[in-house]
Amino acid sequence: MVQQHTSSAQLDATFSALADPTRRAILARLASGETSVSELAEPFEMSMPAISKHLKVLQRAGLIERGREAQWRPCRLAAGPLKDASDWLDHYRRFWEEAFDRLEDYLRELKQDAQTKEKKNGRKK
Amino acid sequence: MAARNNAAVNLPDREIVFTRVFNAPRELVWKAFTERDRMAKWWGLKGMTTQIRELDLRPGGTFLYVVRMPDGREMLGKWVYREIVAPELLVVVHFTTDDTGKPITNPYDPSLPREMLTTSRFTERAGRTTLELRSVPINETAAQREAFNKLADGMEEGFNNSLDLLDEYLAKA
Repeated sequence: MVQQHTSSAQLDATFSALADPTRRAILARLASGETSVSELAEPFEMSMPAISKHLKVLQRAGLIERGREAQWRPCRLAAGPLKDASDWLDHYRRFWEEAFDRLEDYLRELKQDAQTKEKKNGRKK
Repeated sequence: MAARNNAAVNLPDREIVFTRVFNAPRELVWKAFTERDRMAKWWGLKGMTTQIRELDLRPGGTFLYVVRMPDGREMLGKWVYREIVAPELLVVVHFTTDDTGKPITNPYDPSLPREMLTTSRFTERAGRTTLELRSVPINETAAQREAFNKLADGMEEGFNNSLDLLDEYLAKA
């Protein structure tokens, strides 16, 4: 029996997300590494809200992921619909991706701590 | 003594590449990557406990860690440092090990390589650090290299083919 992994609704979302040349260009750019929204917007003569709208469509289609950092939420390709790697390669990749997510969190904490200290020192003066 | 394996000779042409930009200066990212106490703050997977047993940052030195899976099983991971150029370059051999410290058979598929040579490059631009990580098999048998290459090709082809097919499909639609 063939198992159906992808629902037709998901496929529809994926295809309609890919129907737009700007969104395909965004995916092509992300294939060479993750980036910030403003960096993504650079080559397109488009406003940030317009780019954000495209990103939302891609995200809903499961084609990209956004980092969790509030001010700087990097975009990256999502592994799901387009990649078909074996378990090992997938695990290897996820291992690093997840470790990097945690490193990102850790670095952000450090930065916040430093800023809090700076403020405190500033008040003393 | 048998000749040491030389990475330059054995390098296959396929590699796994990860790139990530961190919103922090390079010195800090480097420290987070190379100091035991800092490494302990982030290294490992969510939902699993990771304990660092050793971090000896010098060529030939090791980074040894234990990952405890949700089911209680433990997995030992190890890096052997090869090249350290602070704060820009870190080359390690990365593998799963047992109590002997030697690489064990790839737990996913014995036909795949056991050890990966991983090169991390840190570059800074405008206060942000790009980390580029490149991974290739090392000390692998010819068969393991072939299996890895097939896998890497499959991943890339699968990705490119999907985009090509969609392009064709959309051109017609």
